[in-house]
Amino acid sequence: MTDNTEVQRMSLDAALDVLARRRDEQVVVGTMTANGAWRQKSPHNLNLACIGFMGGASTLGLGVALSQPERDVWVIDGDGSLMMQLGSLGTIAGAAPSNFLHIVIHNGVYETSGSQPLPSQQQVDFARMADGAGYAQTGSFGDAEEFDSAIDDLLAAEGPTLIQLYTRPADRFYSARPTPPGSTPALARMWPPVAEALAKM
Amino acid sequence: MTAQSIPADQLLSAIREAGVQDVVLVPDTHQRTVLDLLMADDEIRTIHCSTEDEAVAVSAGLIIGGRRPMMQIQHAGLYASVNNLRGVALDGHFPIVLLIGLLGRDPELAPEQDGSSMVRLCRPLLETLDIPSHLLDGPEDLHHVAEAFDEAQERNGPVALLVGTTTS
Repeated sequence: MTDNTEVQRMSLDAALDVLARRRDEQVVVGTMTANGAWRQKSPHNLNLACIGFMGGASTLGLGVALSQPERDVWVIDGDGSLMMQLGSLGTIAGAAPSNFLHIVIHNGVYETSGSQPLPSQQQVDFARMADGAGYAQTGSFGDAEEFDSAIDDLLAAEGPTLIQLYTRPADRFYSARPTPPGSTPALARMWPPVAEALAKM
Repeated sequence: MTAQSIPADQLLSAIREAGVQDVVLVPDTHQRTVLDLLMADDEIRTIHCSTEDEAVAVSAGLIIGGRRPMMQIQHAGLYASVNNLRGVALDGHFPIVLLIGLLGRDPELAPEQDGSSMVRLCRPLLETLDIPSHLLDGPEDLHHVAEAFDEAQERNGPVALLVGTTTS
């Protein structure tokens, strides 16, 4: 068993920088703490977010990937999020979209709620799980330079691909503000412009 | 009332006439004859999910990308998919049509009178979620299939079709 409590970890910022430098016209589905940071680094009309349905980023991205086979789709998932929908690894491997990149930010904690540890005590290895599920390729990195050197080969090969990125958790949490009655949920505002942009491309 | 079995080829024709391109599913014993036809069909793609809440998110993603999906699940899966029905289908205003099999229903009784909680609580749960539903209790009810897609588009939200007894 791998003891991931001892693995090398990069900053989330450095991990997302490596991805942002390769951002082109991919649809990117973000979730949890990485989502806000990603949207700042890579603002784009093809950014989507999984907000309000924790665990759903991978399968929302799968649907987009299956509907747009000529366009690359990246999902920037969280480890706690993916733990909630682990079966999605099998679903994605079964559907086998070659245009699907599944990034898993592995910080070992539920950062949004105050950095409580995952049930696995940080030992779960999503790259090995994805290998077992049948992803075409997987990679695992804790060093940003090493990730930067390897990512182009991973992007060039056919997916589905899962890249596990070990990052250091930040000391923060998020509290929800009350939603005014009658307001339109974020997801309902977010996806129609993405659908419109895709339809025009 | 007595629910009549719907022949699989007739239900498939109704699905095809509704313009469905993808059926996103977790297998339903109740509709297995339809599943057999769908999986052998060259035009409609089947996408197999591990859980029903995954199926909701996959369907939403397909809609974003311009496809016309339909979910096909069993009533037990409705209960398992509630968080994504709320957080994706309802909050996201996605026009997702769900075909839900009422496995084990007594065809002589209204679903709300059924002895099984999985059958009995199905429509009350959908009402609580503000999801309209239509019962397919025989071939004469198949007009609801295409109409459900129109209704989902008009209300910008999910609509459920309940398959009343085992398809033949």
